[in-house]
Amino acid sequence: MKSDRILDCIGFFCPMPIIKTNIELRTMKSGEVLEILADDPGFEKDLPAWCKMTGEMFLGMEKEGSIFKGYVRKK
Amino acid sequence: MTIILFSGDLDKAIAAFTLATTAAASGMDVSIFFTYWGLNVLKRTTFTISKSQNFLQKMFNIMSSARLPISKLNMFGLGPWIMKKLMKKTKMAPLEDLMKLAKELGVKYIACTTSCSFFGVTKETLIADVNEFAGASTYLAEAKDSKINLFI
Repeated sequence: MKSDRILDCIGFFCPMPIIKTNIELRTMKSGEVLEILADDPGFEKDLPAWCKMTGEMFLGMEKEGSIFKGYVRKK
Repeated sequence: MTIILFSGDLDKAIAAFTLATTAAASGMDVSIFFTYWGLNVLKRTTFTISKSQNFLQKMFNIMSSARLPISKLNMFGLGPWIMKKLMKKTKMAPLEDLMKLAKELGVKYIACTTSCSFFGVTKETLIADVNEFAGASTYLAEAKDSKINLFI
């Protein structure tokens, strides 16, 4: 998937990947896509749950080995 | 979201701040009401002993300090030491980082005035991040409008 920016959260545990995602999205423009890399197993469920809560658009989750790639479009 | 942080245990404080920062990063208004042993989390220095305290208050502040124990396997301080070491190794965010983030994300700290008076803890001995010094009504007024309320 194409993204405007990549955020590396590999090695960080909950809640850091979500908080970093929130902080990064604040600096982005509406409609831009953020790709988040994380290896916290909880991230797979946490990112869509967080998007549902905040209204950000969850585009999908890819898995490569133990690394998750989450995609969010800023509202 | 409103949280009552009653406990002064490191592990419980980490759990409280994990939820507080995540809620704040999800657009919720978050308040933490620090009462009883929870005040230890806000202490500026390890020991908060002052001249205005009576003997029993001094004893309490020596035995219950900002050097937070953990709720299980404390082993006279060995437990927290191992926990901090392990957290560093596994890159889990330490309490200091979570508290810094909580402030950046606008989490509100309310210190219980009754607990402060009881322990002889003053505004000057607590960190500057405390937004309000108040009592049960202030907390309840916020909790009434909050969908999530936790007692930790």
